[in-house]
Amino acid sequence: MEVDDREENLAVSRSNSADSRFDMVIGAIEDIVMDEEFQVLQNSFLEKYFHEFDDSEENRFIYTDIHTEYVNLVEKYLNNRLLEKIPQFSLPEFMNQMINRKNELDGEIFELLLTFSDFLTFKEMILDYKAEKEGRTVDLSCGFTVTPLGTRDKKEIK
Amino acid sequence: MKQKEKEMRILMLGLDNAGKTTVLKKFNGEDIDTISPTLGFNIKTLEHLSYKLNIWDVGGQKSLRSYWRNYFESTDGLIWVVDSADRMRLQDCKQELDALLLEERLAGATLLVFANKQDLPGALTAEEIKNALELSNIKTHHWLILDCSAVSGENLLQGMDWLIDDIASRIFTMD
Repeated sequence: MEVDDREENLAVSRSNSADSRFDMVIGAIEDIVMDEEFQVLQNSFLEKYFHEFDDSEENRFIYTDIHTEYVNLVEKYLNNRLLEKIPQFSLPEFMNQMINRKNELDGEIFELLLTFSDFLTFKEMILDYKAEKEGRTVDLSCGFTVTPLGTRDKKEIK
Repeated sequence: MKQKEKEMRILMLGLDNAGKTTVLKKFNGEDIDTISPTLGFNIKTLEHLSYKLNIWDVGGQKSLRSYWRNYFESTDGLIWVVDSADRMRLQDCKQELDALLLEERLAGATLLVFANKQDLPGALTAEEIKNALELSNIKTHHWLILDCSAVSGENLLQGMDWLIDDIASRIFTMD
């Protein structure tokens, strides 16, 4: 509800304030990303695929398939949620503005958005997740996939 | 405000053993002593002439060529690497290149052909490769062929500079 109010205000003043629109979009992204639904979505994706990735320079073709699936799932989810809050929102257009304002931005949101368009950022995110998992589960040494009992907030998207 | 970084996406293809990964690593100033056949793909992001280049190098073995199409999207420049000493496979090389030039998603890309391995005895010259590949018939793409040696580094920079200039003159003329 709160978000809807902001959106109305913006609709009135959009033409004279690109800045407030930008801030509003970032705020909306932060809200969505902190929401449990998004975190579950992203974590279950990482959980499903992190074991496919190795920290080697050469990439396997399957990484590209996994990246495409990620974009279709996570970017689409984010885009749809943003559309609910901001009619006619366009993520690619917003990404362009974002690159210009890189320095004003919270690094984690910027990194997250880059994972959609930049394969290497995506790969890094998976490898970070993998390193974290393997660090955490080293004592168990008992199988291929280890599912944690509790849902712990991921560092990237806290 | 910081200016938007100018990015270019460059796709490097060619038959297996043409020297694509060696070109990439040499250009990036890396060690080239331990390169093995690429079974997937490599990506390098590097700054050159104030542009940010994303160079994609995809394995060239016959069984891998069907994957090439997954990397066509948004390509600004195509580098086609030829083993100039591999006379036996020039026809294969021509067919693969011809097929790429018909690809809609590569329609806007500038083409640089590297007549690589000039350090090997018996290597054909760029002129001979140009004739074998019938490059003069290409009307759909800006193109250039250059002799080079990925091992010595000869002409890699010149080729890359031409490619970047050509792409820049097409896509950044608004600035």
